[in-house]
Amino acid sequence: MKYSLLFVALLSASTLVAVETDETINNSESIEVVEFKEVQPVDNVDECTRGDCGEVNTINDELLALATNIRVSVVGQGVAPMHTSSPAQAYALAKRAAIADGYRMIAERVKGVRVEGQDLIKNMMVARSSVRTSVNAMIRDASVLETTFKDGLCEVEMEIVLSHSLFAR
Amino acid sequence: MRSRDGNRTFSLSLCSLILFSSLTLKADEYLISYRYVVKDAILFNEDLYISRAMQKCKGTPSDTLIINSDGFKNLKKIIQKNNTLFIDYIHKLGLDVKHEERNTNLQNSSTTILTLKTTCFKVDFNDNLAKISPLK
Repeated sequence: MKYSLLFVALLSASTLVAVETDETINNSESIEVVEFKEVQPVDNVDECTRGDCGEVNTINDELLALATNIRVSVVGQGVAPMHTSSPAQAYALAKRAAIADGYRMIAERVKGVRVEGQDLIKNMMVARSSVRTSVNAMIRDASVLETTFKDGLCEVEMEIVLSHSLFAR
Repeated sequence: MRSRDGNRTFSLSLCSLILFSSLTLKADEYLISYRYVVKDAILFNEDLYISRAMQKCKGTPSDTLIINSDGFKNLKKIIQKNNTLFIDYIHKLGLDVKHEERNTNLQNSSTTILTLKTTCFKVDFNDNLAKISPLK
């Protein structure tokens, strides 16, 4: 009887130990898997925190600094008023309007346009549809390349060069 | 004991002081602003305001324009004579662009305003030249 009790106790102890070892093995496997899954992003974060990402940023900055100049060229149009005292005045006024149009186009291309739309619908019909676009910018160092004036319409080809040094001013 | 040429050096320094002060007095400061409005691709309004600065301006001169003054000491007259050159120069300095376009029931209308905000310019009048440079 005593031996049987001892045998049972030994068996239960051995089974307990076996379960524990299995659990530990399973846990270690799961941890490994988890680690394996999480390693890659964690490594990337570590790189960023260690300053390797800083190197990447500096490389990007260098690329920005070393990049070739960006040229934005546009053609602005302006019309002479109906009543002018001379063709020269018509030309001058149309050119001024064309330059303003060129500035506007440069601003639109470099900075972007704000667009607001509104539709009024009454009795299932569009009563009024309006679109408003606007742009606010400051343009410096734009140059006029070519001017043509024909039939009261003045066209001005304008260009602006964007470079890193201009923004660093 | 006083040296013989002591008075000469004094007079020389006095003359140089007067000369330098007269040169610096010729450097004036002006406030200039420029604005024009284009409506529906037609020039609508253009304003160029020039006035003498009543207070000393701060900043260092840069981007100098040298124009022929023909002996005039009046900046308004000088700019009037070299209008195109000066307006091109202002454009180079940089203008604020404000554009609004409205499209209502497929009918379009636009307004563009280009502005040079009131800027202080230092103007040096020489014999036949005027040096204009904005203070930034």
